[in-house]
Parts: sequence; structure tokens; C-alpha cells
Amino acid sequence: MTAASRQMKLGAFLWATGHHIAAWRHPKAHVMAGVDIDHYIQLARTAEAAKFDMVFCEDAAGLREANVGIASQTSRSIGFEPISLLSALAVQTSRIGLVSTASTSYNEPYGLARTFLSLDHLSGGRAGWNLVTSASPIEAANFGSTGLKPHADRYERAREFAEVVTGLWHGGASGHDGQSFSVRDPLDLPRSPQGAPVMVQAGASDVGRDLAARTADVVFTAAQTFEEAKAFYDDLKGRMAAYGREPDDIKIMPGVAPVVAETEAEAREKHEELQELIPDDVGVALLSSYLSISDLWRYPIDGPLPELPESEGMKSRQALVVEQSRRDGLSIRQLARHFAGARGHWRIVGTAAQVADELQARFEGGAADGFNVMPSWFPGELDAFATLVVPELQRRGLFRRDYEGRTLRDHLGLKRPA
Amino acid sequence: MDNGATMHLAVSLFPGAADGSPGSEPEFDRLAQLVQKAEAAELDMVVIADSAPAPAGDAVSRQAPFEATTLLAALATVTSRIGLVAGASTIGHQPYNLARRFASLDIISHGRAGWNATMAQAPREAANFSRSEGFSPDDFRRRTDEYIGIVQGLWQGWDADALLFDKSGGRFHDPEKMHLLDHKGEFFSVQGPLNVARSPQDTPLLVLSGLSEPDMDIAARTADVILLDDGPIDGAKARHDNLKRRVAVNGRAPDAVKVLTTIAPITDGRPTISADRLAGQFQSKGCDGFNIRMPMQPAALDDFIDLVLPELQRRGLFRESYRGTTLRSHLGLAGGGDQ
Ligand SMILES: Cc1cc2nc3c(=O)[nH]c(=O)nc-3n(C[C@H](O)[C@H](O)[C@H](O)COP(=O)(O)O)c2cc1C
Repeated sequence: MTAASRQMKLGAFLWATGHHIAAWRHPKAHVMAGVDIDHYIQLARTAEAAKFDMVFCEDAAGLREANVGIASQTSRSIGFEPISLLSALAVQTSRIGLVSTASTSYNEPYGLARTFLSLDHLSGGRAGWNLVTSASPIEAANFGSTGLKPHADRYERAREFAEVVTGLWHGGASGHDGQSFSVRDPLDLPRSPQGAPVMVQAGASDVGRDLAARTADVVFTAAQTFEEAKAFYDDLKGRMAAYGREPDDIKIMPGVAPVVAETEAEAREKHEELQELIPDDVGVALLSSYLSISDLWRYPIDGPLPELPESEGMKSRQALVVEQSRRDGLSIRQLARHFAGARGHWRIVGTAAQVADELQARFEGGAADGFNVMPSWFPGELDAFATLVVPELQRRGLFRRDYEGRTLRDHLGLKRPA
Repeated sequence: MDNGATMHLAVSLFPGAADGSPGSEPEFDRLAQLVQKAEAAELDMVVIADSAPAPAGDAVSRQAPFEATTLLAALATVTSRIGLVAGASTIGHQPYNLARRFASLDIISHGRAGWNATMAQAPREAANFSRSEGFSPDDFRRRTDEYIGIVQGLWQGWDADALLFDKSGGRFHDPEKMHLLDHKGEFFSVQGPLNVARSPQDTPLLVLSGLSEPDMDIAARTADVILLDDGPIDGAKARHDNLKRRVAVNGRAPDAVKVLTTIAPITDGRPTISADRLAGQFQSKGCDGFNIRMPMQPAALDDFIDLVLPELQRRGLFRESYRGTTLRSHLGLAGGGDQ
């Protein structure tokens, strides 16, 4: 693709009531989103009408927050299991890609490869798997009594897991007998309509980047500043040659949480409206869970972030938050409130033109191939992005006006595996 | 409620075997039409078979493009009444994941989902799930029993009125009404709770099949529906009585478990099922209904629906319409929905 015609990829990151921790309390948010399949069908159709490359679902096999009093003040303790959710969406949409997260720590490769291939057949070649290693001790407790396994062990298992899954998808016939897994038979389903489902990855630590450079088609990441995003982009693309791959074989799509309105003042007001709805203890608890620290509430809320031990959970996100707190001199309260909006992802508050300017700068500056859009609440903020920002990007020639093909690989401009 | 005067009817589908001839129509559309036809005929449920790998063993010969739980989710969006039961293996899934998948399917289908768990170890399955040695029959039984307990326990983790949706008060749910499972057993350790809301029919349906004699007590204690293989009609009543007695011994009302006999149409020439045969076994109290294994030809379902069902209805042995919207309500089972 020539530089002039290079267009950005867009994912619609769906999450029940929205990405802002207080989204469910927004007067117009659909508070029963986590038990309403029609809500999700509507969101997917909105994203499809706007020509998004894909919808994306996160996942965790457990509660998000161990403290039940805090958990009960958020909407995140219940929701759909994403593979069943996307299977339902597969027959209720016709073009948009369908990507679900699933953990390599709590699944087996044969079953997972088969399930995603089935989703791929149901959707006519629109499925993708977001590989995560699962960083939460709450999840670990649903799968045994020995607690969260060390970061390095989880990634070693993930590496072998990915190798087995891609082997099965590519029609591998011979058995696998490895360190963590043994598999005897090939899959008993026909080959994928797009060659193989798309491999997505969302880890950003050093080992995470290596695994992505080796296997991923798409990488999601969190970055605050242009410099962070650019450094990640260059680093990851630079690692690919070692695995015999070209830089364009991976699309890097950082998360972005836009709050967009007709005027900048209106956008700020919309943003503040949600910020006002965050209870302090909920904000601090959310921040603590991403920092893998259990007693952050002991520290003065208007004081600085304490020194933290290195995380065995999400290494990359911990580093991002610590960096931001030092850079901007934020107190725990300020950091928690900032974090509650988009969990450390990049946030843009402004008009469609301002949002498009920022996205364009990172896209053309070589810091992103596209973006994973994280609306603060549903359906309102997805509608706002689709009706205000997408047309602005299209006017600038930065985003497609219609799908070029049928499969998710077509949308993303990825090679079809042999 | 169910007075036992009419029979329950399920059809078992083997995706991919729906038609031998590769047609131009997409496989999903063909399956959806079959299920819609069964729904129009007011059948209680379809049972979607699954195994990895296919029993035939020869991967290439199987052209089923779908795994059962994903197929169920898709079928749920193109039907509105019929119950949808999918097979899923206790070796292929962790109990937390499986409980979650089915709880989610139940919400997607508005209370029409069920899990068909087999008590029989599939011959080749373990070898694909890093368990090449498999389990001894006794270990497999104890493991399945523990597994079912975990799944049903997780399904009961949220009280019916746990979700408050109180925006202004900032209370999404009532913390007192969410329960940890805290299971620590011989094979599994699962803390819970499930991160999916309570089922619209209280819990998804548990269907047990592949039972040997020592499995009967587990089934009597836990199942909502038991699928039994067909046998000589003479022994059927004794077998049925015995099973219902065990249900009662476990402190459940005999009618809390429905026993369906699996029958396959005779496949010489056009496949047929005789209304007389069904009526005979049902009226002699040999079962609560039937699970009909659909053979390859979709015409078999047409024959059954067009010829046999009206005859059963004429004799007052099959209901004319659904009584409610959930699978439990079709089967006359307690729990949830709109009975
Ligand atoms: C856009 C995005 C989405 C993510 N979604 C999930 C998710 O759904 N489930 C999860 O366990 N982790 C999710 N993660 C977190 C990463 O997978 C996490 O960083 C990983 O488990 C630990 O890897 P790391 O230490 O290499 O960053 C997501 C990260 C990003 C950037």
C-alpha cells in the first residue's frame, strides 16, 4: 500500500455500559447492558454501519475487584462471556470483524482453536482471538489453589499455546507433545474461510512484545504520549525481522478514549459529568488492581504514589501509570480519577476536528496503524464517534468509506496464510 | 404445571450430518431452518451434539464446521421459543469457563439453554487435551460428579434479586446477594462467584446422557433431564420407576427430573417413526418423552413433524403449543421464567 493511500484501522472496543468506571451511572447509559443481547447487537450494527474493522471484547474469568463492597458499586461483576456473545453477533452482522479475548492460562489449545474456528465459520471469516496471559489473582483462584503463576511462566505457556493453535488452524496434522500441552489429532472442522482466524495480542512487557512479534497480526496497547506510542511502535516493528516477518504484517492499534461533542466546551462538560460520578474508594481500588498493589488505600489520598514492587501482573500497565504520576506530579486521588476514565489509555476530549487531528498526528507520525476506540459510555459515545469523528476521518481520506472485502483479514490488509 | 399427560419431545442434531450432499446454501442457514421447523412444531428442545474429535475419528470425513456452544448462541438469535441444548465436554473445559459459557448462553437465549454432559469418557478426547492417559472409569465418574456440583453451584451464585441497577445511589448490586462458591475438592478448586448474572430460568438446564448403572445416582441427584438409550419395551417401565425412586431418595420430587428415551428412526428406505410405538412406551409409563436422533436426511424431520406429531396430538399425547417462554417451562420444571 502506498503512503498516500494508507488508511487507519479502527476497532470498537465494546464493554457493557462503557469504559469509564462510572459509565453505568450516566443518566442515559443502558444500565442493563450486561444482560441484554439486543444492546450488543445494536452496538455491533452501529460499528458496522460506520465501517469499523472490528468489534473487540475484553475478558476476565472472574470478578474485577475482590472487595465486594467496592465491586458492588461498579457494573463489572457481571456480563456476557465473550465467545458466546460474539457467536450471537456473528449471525446478526455481516461484515464487521469479531475479536474476543481468551486466556492462555486457563484454556487448552485444542478446545480454544476449535471454538474460534467455529466462530470464524459462523461469521464467514471474521473472527479473531486476542491472546492474553491473565494477570489477576482473582481469576487464578477460579482455576486451582496455587494462585497466580509468575509472569514468565504464564508467557512461556502462552508461547507454546499460540504455536499449537496456529498449527491446528493451519491444518497441522501431526501431534504436539510439548512442555505444557499434548495434542494428538488435527481439528475436526474445515479450514477457516480467511485462512486462519486473526491473532491479536494485548501484552506489552518485554516477553509480551517478543511473543507478539512472532505470532500476532494485531497488537493492542496502551500509551499516553506520542513518544510512548512511537517508542512502542518502533520497538515492536523492529523485533519482527528476527522472526522472518515484515513490519506491515502487524497492525498496532493503541487504545483511545475519545469524548467528542460539537464544541470543545460541550465535550469537557460531558467528560466532567462522568468524572463527578466516581466514588474515591472505587477509583483507588481500580488503580490498585492495575498496579498489583493491595493496600494503596493506606497511603494519603492527596499524597504521591508510593514506591511499588515490580508487578507479577501487568508489567507494562504498571510502568505506564508510574511514569504518568511522576511526569505530571499527580496525587493518588488525581491519578485514580484520571485512570478511572480509561484505565490508562490515551484520552482525547474535544471536537471531531480536534480528535481527528490527534489521531492523524499519531497515525501519520508512525506511532500507530489504527486505534482501538473505547467509548466512555454506551450507546451514546459510540454513536458520537460514528457520527462525528468517522465522517471527519473519511473526509481526510484517513478511513474507508466502505469495506473492501468480506473477511477480517481483508479489512486489516493482512496476508492470507498459505 | 406439567401433569404428565403429554410427552416431551427433543430432537438431536449432528451438525454437518444434516445433509450428505454439499448444497449451495450455507450450513448455518440449513441448520437454522431445521431448528425453526422444530420450533414451529412446538418441540421442547433440540440437542446439539459435539465431540472433539468427531467419533468417526477421521477428521476429514466430518464436515461439521461448528462447535456446539458457539452454534447454540447463533441459533438463539434466530429462534425465540425452542430450548437449545449443547454438548460440551468436562475434559475440554475448566468448570468455571463452562459454567460461564452456559450462563451466558442462557441470557442470550432468554432462558432456553441447557448443557448436555456425558458421563461416558469419549475414547479419543483426552489425548487432545494434554491428558493422553485419560481417566479410569471410577476417577472419571468422581471427577464428573465434582464438576457438575461446581457448575450448578456457580449457576446459583447470584440471588434472583441481587442486581439493583441503582444509578443515583451508586449501588449496582447488593453485596449480600452475591455468593462465593469456595469449592476445594479432589480435582478442582474454584472460588467463584460466576461473573455472569443469574439465569432467566434460575439455572440453565442440566441434561445427562451416556449413563452406566453406577452413574444413575449422580443423575438422579443433579439432572433436570436424563437421556436414556432405547431398550426392550418390557424393561422400560421398571427402569423408569427405578430411576424415579432414586430421584425421590435424593429428596427431589419424582417429576423434577424428566426421563427421555433416545430413539432413532428406522433408516431403511425413508426413515420412519411410528406414533404407535411412541404412544405405547409413553402410556405404559416407560418414559416422560423422547429424544429423536435425526438421521442424515432432513426429510426425516419433515416426516416426523408432518405425519407423526399430528397423530400424537390427535391422541392428546403432545401439547398444541408452548406454555411459556423458557426451556424449563416447556418441560414443566420448577424454576424461573413464566410458569
Ligand atoms: C487494549 C487492551 C485490551 C486488553 N484486554 C485484556 C483482557 O481482556 N483481559 C486481560 O486479562 N488482559 C487484557 N489486557 C492486558 C494485557 O493482556 C496484559 O497486559 C497482560 O495480561 C500482561 O501482559 P504484559 O505484562 O506483557 O503487559 C489488555 C490490554 C490492552 C492494551
